[in-house]
Amino acid sequence: MSHAVTAHPVLDTAMVEQSPVGVSWQKLMMWIFIVSDGLLFAALLTGYAFVRIASPSWPDRAEVFHLAMIGFMTFLLISSSATMASAVAAAGRADRGATVRFLLFTIVGGLGFLGMQAYEWSSLIHEGARLNSNPWGVPAFGAVFFTITGFHGSHVLSGVVLLAITAWRMAAGKSTAAGIELAGLYWHFVDLVWVFIFTLFYLI
Amino acid sequence: MANATHGTGYRLYWITWIFLLAITMVMLAMEYVSWPQWILLAVLVVAMLVKASLISGYFMHLRFEKPALILIVAASLLLVGALLFGLLAIDALRVHQLSTG
Repeated sequence: MSHAVTAHPVLDTAMVEQSPVGVSWQKLMMWIFIVSDGLLFAALLTGYAFVRIASPSWPDRAEVFHLAMIGFMTFLLISSSATMASAVAAAGRADRGATVRFLLFTIVGGLGFLGMQAYEWSSLIHEGARLNSNPWGVPAFGAVFFTITGFHGSHVLSGVVLLAITAWRMAAGKSTAAGIELAGLYWHFVDLVWVFIFTLFYLI
Repeated sequence: MANATHGTGYRLYWITWIFLLAITMVMLAMEYVSWPQWILLAVLVVAMLVKASLISGYFMHLRFEKPALILIVAASLLLVGALLFGLLAIDALRVHQLSTG
């Protein structure tokens, strides 16, 4: 077994069957799931692109949203991805304490993001935004906002649940480094989707 | 092994984190200056793709995987996304012209 300290976690490759693309079947299937879930968001964002381009006008996001808060939400998610990657590295070194600590930091980042997204939702609903109408003159805007951020937020929530279970199992000595890595791939995917939503919906 | 050139432990991730935050701040700063629309669009889309590459390449380790896996993930998502957007955008422009023309 390699003792080299690397960024890539050391997996017990003698015990895990390798797929034809050089990773375990579990990891390959997680990647295939990520591709399929990514295609879901590609479809949602493309639908948004159609509605936006076809619409004669579109609300000014700087007037509708608290862009500073959205920026901080982005910071939270990016930082949680960094702590998640560190958790995977710690798991590869069999450092259980550090793994659990980094997982907890990741969970805190996810919960912070969810709390701020919930605040954004309640703020817009309070101003009159609904799925089929809103005060900013483009009826589809509300549907697009709630659908896209709703789908993403539910992915963040399920990611937080997954990470909580993973952290508990790691603390109890029941999880492997490979398991942490798979959970990490899902969490990074959630961050990846936000990169696209943040740019295409909030900034452009 | 492809692992040999990674560098040690957490450093790679924190350097990537710094780059991601810096790019995010540039993207946010773009909103507060009035640029021609096409410059804003181009810079934001390029920055978005750079951030996506950093996250998928370094946090998700895709950069260190075999080319076959990179192709499965990147090609399918990018190609399908481009195809979806390309086809729908053309039709959306037509609808836009109908509603405003």
